[in-house]
Amino acid sequence: MAGNTTGGGSQPASLATHERRALPAVFTRWWHALRELYARPSSALGTTLVLVFLAMALFGPLIAPYSATEQISGAARQAPSVQHLFGTDHLGRDVFSRVVLGARDILALAGLGTLFAVVIGTLIGLFSAYRGGLTDEVTFRFFDSLLALPALLLALLVLGVVGPSRNSVLVVLVIVYVPIVARVVRSVVLSTKQKGYVEAARLQGESTASIVRRDIFPSVTPALTVEAGLRFSYAIFLVASLGFLGVGVQPPNPDWGLMVSQARPYVSLTPWALYFPAAAIALLVIGVNLAADGLKRVMLPGREV
Amino acid sequence: MPNTHPLRKSARGYLALVIILAFAFVLNACAAPPPAGSPASEPAAADATGAPAPAQPAASSTLRVAMEAPVQLDPAFASSDSEIAILNAVYDYLVDVDENNRLQPRLASSVVASEDGLSYTVELQPNATFHDGSPVTAADVIYTFNRLRDPEAGLPTADLYSNIVDIAAPEGSDPATGTTVVFTLQAPDPFFQYNLSDNHALIVKAGTEDPTADFNGSGPFKVVNYSPEDRMELVANDAYFIDGKPGVDNLEFIFFADQTAAVDALKGGQVDLNMRMATPLYLSLQGEPGIVTSSIPTNGFDLVRLRADREPGNDPRVIEAFKLATDRQAIFDTVTLGLGAVGNDSPIGPLYADYYSTDAVAPARDVAKARELLAAAGYADGLSLDLYVPESGDRVALAEVLQQQWQEAGINVDIKSVPESVYYGSDNPDQNWLGATLGITGWGSRPYPQFYLDVMLVCDAKWNESHFCDEEFDQLATMAGTTLDEQERMEAYKDIQHILIERGPIIVPYFFAQLGAISDRFENFNMKAFAGRTDLAAITPAQ
Repeated sequence: MAGNTTGGGSQPASLATHERRALPAVFTRWWHALRELYARPSSALGTTLVLVFLAMALFGPLIAPYSATEQISGAARQAPSVQHLFGTDHLGRDVFSRVVLGARDILALAGLGTLFAVVIGTLIGLFSAYRGGLTDEVTFRFFDSLLALPALLLALLVLGVVGPSRNSVLVVLVIVYVPIVARVVRSVVLSTKQKGYVEAARLQGESTASIVRRDIFPSVTPALTVEAGLRFSYAIFLVASLGFLGVGVQPPNPDWGLMVSQARPYVSLTPWALYFPAAAIALLVIGVNLAADGLKRVMLPGREV
Repeated sequence: MPNTHPLRKSARGYLALVIILAFAFVLNACAAPPPAGSPASEPAAADATGAPAPAQPAASSTLRVAMEAPVQLDPAFASSDSEIAILNAVYDYLVDVDENNRLQPRLASSVVASEDGLSYTVELQPNATFHDGSPVTAADVIYTFNRLRDPEAGLPTADLYSNIVDIAAPEGSDPATGTTVVFTLQAPDPFFQYNLSDNHALIVKAGTEDPTADFNGSGPFKVVNYSPEDRMELVANDAYFIDGKPGVDNLEFIFFADQTAAVDALKGGQVDLNMRMATPLYLSLQGEPGIVTSSIPTNGFDLVRLRADREPGNDPRVIEAFKLATDRQAIFDTVTLGLGAVGNDSPIGPLYADYYSTDAVAPARDVAKARELLAAAGYADGLSLDLYVPESGDRVALAEVLQQQWQEAGINVDIKSVPESVYYGSDNPDQNWLGATLGITGWGSRPYPQFYLDVMLVCDAKWNESHFCDEEFDQLATMAGTTLDEQERMEAYKDIQHILIERGPIIVPYFFAQLGAISDRFENFNMKAFAGRTDLAAITPAQ
C-alpha cells in the first residue's frame, strides 16, 4: 500500500498522475470496505445500527412527533402508548422525541470531538515521530502523563476548570483523545520511517512535509481508521457519562446520559424514561464497536484475533 | 505495516468490556426496587439480613430504623438527620419542639422568663440521671451551653448563643447538686426557648471531653454497640425520667448509603422505619402491604431569587414580571408531585399557623401582563439570563419547569446546573449562590420564621443572596424579632408576607414535604419536619 507511492516522487508529472489515480482509489477502497463489512453478520449488524442512528440524527425533526423540551401539559409520567411511544418523563416530555432528537447531539458531539482529536493527534504524531529528538521526547512524555489519568477523571478535571457546556465537552474530548491518537500514529511512524523507500525519498531531497504526507501517512491510515472508530465509540460513552454526571450538556437538552440521570430518581414511577435512553446509549456504543471491529478486519487483515 | 500497535489488544475483549460497561451503566442507573407485590414485600415473614431481630413482633419490640451512616456524633458538631436522630435517642434537650412547632418540656420541667425578657430560669427534672447513674445537675447544663457558646471553639452555635451573657445556678445554690439554672441575656429574645432547643443543644455531662467515647447521655436509649458504617444498637433506658418512654425495648439504627436500598429494606421487612426518601420512592410505597406512609409539609423550601441590586432585578417591574410569569400550582403538581405545600413567595409558610397570613396570596399567572411589564422596563424583545441551580433535590426539575413557564413571557433562561459544592463553594461571584444574578437555593426547615428574615432578607443579612434591601421590611423584621408582644409579632409577620409578595425579589414556589414510612407493627409515630428530631421513644409496638 505504502510502497507504491515512492519512486520518482519528486517529479511534478508523476505527482500529478499519482493524485489523479488516488482519488478514485480511495472510493474503491471504501466501497470495498463497506462490502466487506456487510460480509460478516456482526459487523453488518453494527454498521446497520450506526446507519440507523445516523439517520435519526439527520432526520430527527421529521421523525420526532414532539419537541425535545416541550412539557406537555397534563401528560406527565405517562406509560408508553400510541401517542407517546416511549411514554413521557416526570415533566411530561415525550421520551421518544427526546431519544430521537438526542441522537444528533451525541453523534455530533462525539463525532466532532473524535474528528478534531484524530486530526490534531495525527498531525502531532506524524511530525513529532518523524522529526524525533527532544521535542518528540518532551511531547510524548507529557502525553504519557495525561494517559496515566483515567479518561473520565481527566474529563472531570478539565470541565471543572472550563465549566460545563457543550463546547467544553468538545474541548474535553480533544484533550482526552489527542494523546491516544498521537501515540498510535507515532508507533506506526517510528517503524515506517526506517523503511528503505522513506530513506530513498529523503536522499532524493524531498521536503519533510512531502515525505510525511506521501510516504508515511498512507501507512498510518489503516490503523488510524480503526483507531478513529474506537475513539468514536469511547467518545459516545464519555459524552453520555459526562451527561449522566451532570457536568456535560446542560438541561433541558435531550442528552441521553442526562436523561438517564434525570430519570433515575423516578425509576419506580417512570421506568421507561430511563430504559429507552439507556438502551439507546448501549445500542449505539455496541453498534459503533461492531462496525469498528469489522473495519479492523478489513483495514488490518493481519490482525484478526 | 506496523507491528507494534495498541490495537493488537483483543478486539473481542474490548467489545465485551464496552458491552459490560454499557449494561453496568443501565443497571447502575436502575438499581431499582423490585416491582410492588414481589415476594419480598411481606414484612413480617422476610427477615433475610440475618439481623438478630426476632421475627415475632410481640416479643421483639425492636425498632429498626434505616438511616444514613453518621459522620459526626459529637452533639456540638452533629448536623445531619441521622446524626441528630441517634443523639436525640441518647441525650436530652432541655426543651423539645413538637411536630406542630410548639415547645414541650423535656429535661427542663419548666422554663420561666423574667418580665423584662432578660433572664430565663430553667428547672431540671429532679430524677433525671445519666446512663452512668449520676444525676443531671445545673453544672452539666452550664458546661454544655458554655461549650456551645465558646467563640474560640469554632462551633456553629457560637453565633446563636452570642446573646447569652451568663449561665449560672441561682445565688446560694451549688451547681454540682442543684437543678436550677439561670440564663442571662444581653437583649430580649422572644425565641430564646427555641434556641435552647437547637439541634446541637443536647446536655452532656460536665467535664466530658469527647462525647463520642462513651455516649453517656441521659436520654431514653443507651448505646450497647456501635459499628461505624454498619449499625448502632441501643437498649431502653429503664431509668428514663419520662413515664411510659421509651416505648420499645431495643432500638437499632441500620446505615444505608442509598435511599432505594433503604426503601427496599423496608419493603422486605429488614427495617421498620425510614424517614429519608425521595418523592418517587415514597409514592412507590403507597399501597404496600404492612407499611404506613406519612407525609407532612415542612418549613423548608426552594428559593428562586433574582438579585435586586443590579440589572435586570433592580427594576421592580422586572421582579413583578417574573412573579406573574410563574405558575406555582403547576410547579407544585409537577415538581413535588403534589406533596408538601404551595408557596406564596414568602418563607413564612402555612405551617407557621398563627404567623401565616391566608390572605397574602401571590397573584395568579398572567403572561400578557408580565410581557407588558418587561416591555415597559425596556425588555420588549425578551430578557436573557443564566439560571444557576445546584443539581440536588428537585431543583433541576424546578429550573426546567420555570424555563418553560418564563419563556412564554419572554424571559429566556439558560440553565446552569452545577454540583452543590460549586454553587455554595465557588469563588466565581457570578456562579455562586450569593453572587449569581438568578439562582435557586434550598433552605432547610426552621421552627420559627425569624431566622429566614434575619439571615436572608434584611439589608445587612449574612446570606442576603437576593441583595434585597427595603426599609419598611427591615423595620418590621426588627420589630418582629424583638417584641415580647405576640400579637404585635403576628401582625408584623403578616405585613412582611404582603411586602414580599408585592416586591420581594424572591419566588417560593413550594414548601418541601418530609416523607417517611413505618411498618404497621408499630404505632405512635409522629414525624417532625426535621426527621432527626422525631421522637423515637414515643413509638410503641402496635396493639
